[in-house]
Amino acid sequence: MTLFSRHVTDQLSAHIHGQLSPRETQRFERHLSECEQCRAHLDQVTFGADILEEVQIARAPEAIWNAIEAGLNQAPASRRWPLAAAALAATMLAAIVCWVELRAPAAQWNVVRIHGTQQMTGRVGPGDWIETDASTRAVVSVGVIGKVEVAGNTRVGVVAARPGEHRLALRRGRIHATITAPPRLFFVDTAAGTAIDLGCEYSLETDEEGSGLLQVTSGWVEFQWGDLHSLVPAGASCRTTRDGPGIPYFDDAPDVLKQVFAEGASRQLDTVLAAARIRDSLTLWHLLMRVGPAERERVFSRMAALSPVPAGVTRELVLKLDAPTLARWKDELAWTW
Amino acid sequence: MVPLRDRTASAELAPGLLEACRAGDREAFRVLYDVYKDRVYSIALYFFQGDQTSAADITQQVFLKLITTIPQFKGDSAFSTWLYRLVVNACQDATRRRKHTLAGTVEDLTVPGSQEEDLVRTQVSRSIQDAIASLPPKLRMAVLLRYFDDLSYEQMAEALHCSMGTVASRLSRGHRMLAERLQSLRGRR
Repeated sequence: MTLFSRHVTDQLSAHIHGQLSPRETQRFERHLSECEQCRAHLDQVTFGADILEEVQIARAPEAIWNAIEAGLNQAPASRRWPLAAAALAATMLAAIVCWVELRAPAAQWNVVRIHGTQQMTGRVGPGDWIETDASTRAVVSVGVIGKVEVAGNTRVGVVAARPGEHRLALRRGRIHATITAPPRLFFVDTAAGTAIDLGCEYSLETDEEGSGLLQVTSGWVEFQWGDLHSLVPAGASCRTTRDGPGIPYFDDAPDVLKQVFAEGASRQLDTVLAAARIRDSLTLWHLLMRVGPAERERVFSRMAALSPVPAGVTRELVLKLDAPTLARWKDELAWTW
Repeated sequence: MVPLRDRTASAELAPGLLEACRAGDREAFRVLYDVYKDRVYSIALYFFQGDQTSAADITQQVFLKLITTIPQFKGDSAFSTWLYRLVVNACQDATRRRKHTLAGTVEDLTVPGSQEEDLVRTQVSRSIQDAIASLPPKLRMAVLLRYFDDLSYEQMAEALHCSMGTVASRLSRGHRMLAERLQSLRGRR
């Protein structure tokens, strides 16, 4: 097949939007004059594009700006207007931000302790601990950004309660957090690392050694331990150990994957790769960074077979664990997660 | 009706506006917000099947994010590209948060006319909205970026983190799918 005989289906919109170069246009028109199928497709694409002209812009409600202004006014001092960032050297700004954050007054959060049908209301702040036994649970209001339900047999403390940092320490037990704030305002420290809220709802359980489980029901959570990061989206879970976060997996993943990544079973890499679906690229993407070069190549090949590798993402860069390349691939894969 | 592509947002940016925003001028940011708010809101509204709550949330998130990150915008790419990348990210994140797509009711987008004309316009508008909503997310976002602002394929490629060829392919597929689903409107035109 010569270049000129190839169908031009993928270029139809570019043609009607005037995005083809003169040379491409010439080639396009030559093919079109000879290909009835592409002419029919052009008619469809033209109709599809024409009808979109009827789509009208909707007016954004004024309430949105009011909410933005309210958000600005509630933001930590470092984010308040006017932003002097442009006028300050980066090092000076960093120093000022730290100073302002550290001096921001700590808040007290409401906590309701529930024992059977009895409820007791109190306040907690930095340095305070909440401890429940088998018959007790508690609900903590995390400022204005959400709430944390504390299950029985749990010990959790308040580390920071500032506008820009809401931080708990979960020593043992289980919590369920529901947060409706911009990302990276709510953190939970455990012995396995820190769960960083990216706007979400999740459950986190751990023992004092850091062995536990993160289950995300809405949004995203990043779990970080040193240089080790795991990104866990809604519908996925991630085991934790004292060595940090494990590899996330979807709760509906094939059994083989769950046996390996949820239960710690040992399986051949090829068995795991063969069982992976497109959606399990979540697991494979993390796996890339946790295996040696030889295994990494096999993981890459399986991912490439499951879903086309996007432009700018090359085998060489992925195998080198080039961070921007991995981020770009993740952004593309994330449409399926 | 004025075609959307004749109303390019970036052409409405006054000289020095972005500079003022970077310097922390709140009034300037309000002007910037006014230039883009309807486009950002509309993209989110159509992306989420007319769900006004989600569209408002996305718009709020995008502009709050913009406020905190605009000092990092160095003008290496078009501002629109940069802003729409935030929109794409926010819609992606919201899609993950919503395990099930909520069906909503699109705002009344019709212009005044007779009751019969209004009814027809509303039905057509809803048909188009439903057809857009039925597209796979990648094709849907490409179509919306193209029609709510006059982004070039190069700018769209940057905003979507893909190649220009991929943009062309997604738009072609999206248009064809829309044509198939809106076949009944052909005779009307």
